[in-house]
Amino acid sequence: MTTEVSKQSTHRLHFKAMGSACEIVLAAESYSDVQAIAQFAIDEVLRIERKYSRYTDDSIIAKINQQAGKSPIPCDDETWALFQFATQLFEKSDGLFDMTSGVLRQAWDFKNPTLPQPEKLQELISRMGWQKVQLQNQSIRFSQEGMEIDLGGFGKEYAADRAANVLKEKGVNHGYVNLAGDMRFIGPKPSGEPWMIGIQNPRQRNEVIATLPMSHGGLATSGDYEKYFELNGKRYCHVLNPKTGYPVNYWRTVSVSAPIAVLAGCTTTMTMLKEEQGLSFLESTGFDFLAIDSSGQFHTKK
Amino acid sequence: MAAIKHHKQLPELGAALLSAAMALPCVMGVAHAESAPEKGTLSFKYLDYKERQQIADGASAGYGLSDSKSGASAFDDRIRVKATASKLVLPINSEWSMSGTLITDSISGASPAYHTEALTGMKDFRRAVDTSLTHYSPDGTFTLGVNHSGERDYVSRGVSLLATRATENKNTTWTAGIGVNRDQINPSNRIVFNETKNGTDLLLGVTQVMSMNDIVQFNLGYYKGHGYYSDPYKIYDERPRNRNHETLQTRWNHHFSELNATTRLAYRFYTDNWGIRSHTFDAEWVQNVGWGWSAAPAIRYYTQTAAKFYVEADPSLSPFPPNPPMGAQYFSEDQRMSAFGGLAFGMKLVKQINLDTKVDFKFEQYGQKGSWILSGKGSQGLAPFYARSIQVGLTHAF
Repeated sequence: MTTEVSKQSTHRLHFKAMGSACEIVLAAESYSDVQAIAQFAIDEVLRIERKYSRYTDDSIIAKINQQAGKSPIPCDDETWALFQFATQLFEKSDGLFDMTSGVLRQAWDFKNPTLPQPEKLQELISRMGWQKVQLQNQSIRFSQEGMEIDLGGFGKEYAADRAANVLKEKGVNHGYVNLAGDMRFIGPKPSGEPWMIGIQNPRQRNEVIATLPMSHGGLATSGDYEKYFELNGKRYCHVLNPKTGYPVNYWRTVSVSAPIAVLAGCTTTMTMLKEEQGLSFLESTGFDFLAIDSSGQFHTKK
Repeated sequence: MAAIKHHKQLPELGAALLSAAMALPCVMGVAHAESAPEKGTLSFKYLDYKERQQIADGASAGYGLSDSKSGASAFDDRIRVKATASKLVLPINSEWSMSGTLITDSISGASPAYHTEALTGMKDFRRAVDTSLTHYSPDGTFTLGVNHSGERDYVSRGVSLLATRATENKNTTWTAGIGVNRDQINPSNRIVFNETKNGTDLLLGVTQVMSMNDIVQFNLGYYKGHGYYSDPYKIYDERPRNRNHETLQTRWNHHFSELNATTRLAYRFYTDNWGIRSHTFDAEWVQNVGWGWSAAPAIRYYTQTAAKFYVEADPSLSPFPPNPPMGAQYFSEDQRMSAFGGLAFGMKLVKQINLDTKVDFKFEQYGQKGSWILSGKGSQGLAPFYARSIQVGLTHAF
């Protein structure tokens, strides 16, 4: 069996999707094997990107947004399941996890450090609210014009789960899918050892503050350091509270390991949105986590 | 911070989030609709089966003590089956697939005319063809099957319909099936001529995904048949012309993520109108060991009560069979109608060579004794019976 060990080595395949750098890491006998297998997973990621992008006119999301306040749009099974999941997240987070809150981006430009006008924020908030979304007979309709939804909250993580599942079905037992830091693991290294995943220091780019051993499940990280500006000594990050319209400012970074990536991803986001209540929220999920608050203090699962 | 060990232990919020996420299609690897295969597969299996039993000569006192000082000479190698099975699955389009299986067996050896005695030489060749057509839709599958098997003295034909239907979240799958078989029997000893046996099978089942790591299944089966069930080559074998049986089967597969292993546990209960009641317990541990290898040790225990018309062996009469009771309408001295317990140990090794090719090797050793029955005494007059089977298979997708 020792010859088998030397035959299978780890290969990384980089690709670009959803506007970010992604990679698929697999153990296989040759790089060409990896390319052949990984292409199925990449195709799946690109399929989800095309179907749910808010940037292209022919995605289902674009079609739904164009019909806001008008007639209901029928949904296929996959889209319907995603909306049902969004409803659950909205309820479990007391309305903080809201797929309609993307319109707030119209008020915040993180390349330009200025605060939006309060009237502008109020106008945007009046066009938000998942409770105004009518989900009936596998069709979706917004009760109000100008409403928009996007899958930004868990689309990437969902794609990571689906891509990992494609690889599993192709017989892959060792490897992971990494979509810009949102990861789903298929199994440990061929030697049985876990993959060692570094967590970025939220205040020092290219510095790792912790290394987590991962073999199965999903891992996602959310932080205040990806897109932000500073104004008068205060940091304004891209995670926006749908109730105030303002950025959250309690957590520097939250990493969660859950059975699947989509669960890890929405848990990090909900924790960011819950701010001070985030820690008790994290504790009550039972998932493993590593979080750093605004004072720089580390928190992990008790 | 390793991945969650057993999410069943998650507190309420985590469990609720997980169950919401599990309804998403194709994120868990277990809960999704069946779809038509994208690739065709061709598989080839070779089976070598051999059975042996202690012979009666001078062994009348030694029954049940198989390994006294008997040695190999006290055992009689009996039936040996060498079979090949080739299976081809062809996708037609995204909604349809068809499959065909061709089995050829050559059987050589000796079959006992009663109990374990009076071995008569036999040599036979069987060819069986099994074809099916499956339609896949988002909420289920529908399969039509036709089978035909022919031996010199036994021809069997059957058709079956099987439907599965999954709930919206794909966590529950219902199965219903019906099968009809028409057999024609023309034994070479001409003890009967153009006899028939017709039977109908019904199946109802449900498979439930309980969590990311657990699947359970319940199946109920019912069979009703009429015709010639006796064995034309056995002495004193006259069985009822009606046979009904009911089966209940449960399975539980549990995956241990941390160990990269799966346990498969199954229990089957069987009861029929001939008085046979049986229990089967199966346990298998499938261990993925990396580099494309998996190893699966398995153990099975089987026990059954005797048919009402079974005539117990009497070693003291050897080499003559006991007579059926006076005036009995039905009788059989076939050891398969006796009360016994059986234990099997097996090991299956699978190696995924590359994405499209897989080889497997399976070994099983089986032993059967009257005294191994679960409760009661079992049929004490029979010598222990042993069988071993070896199977080698190759599957290739194209």
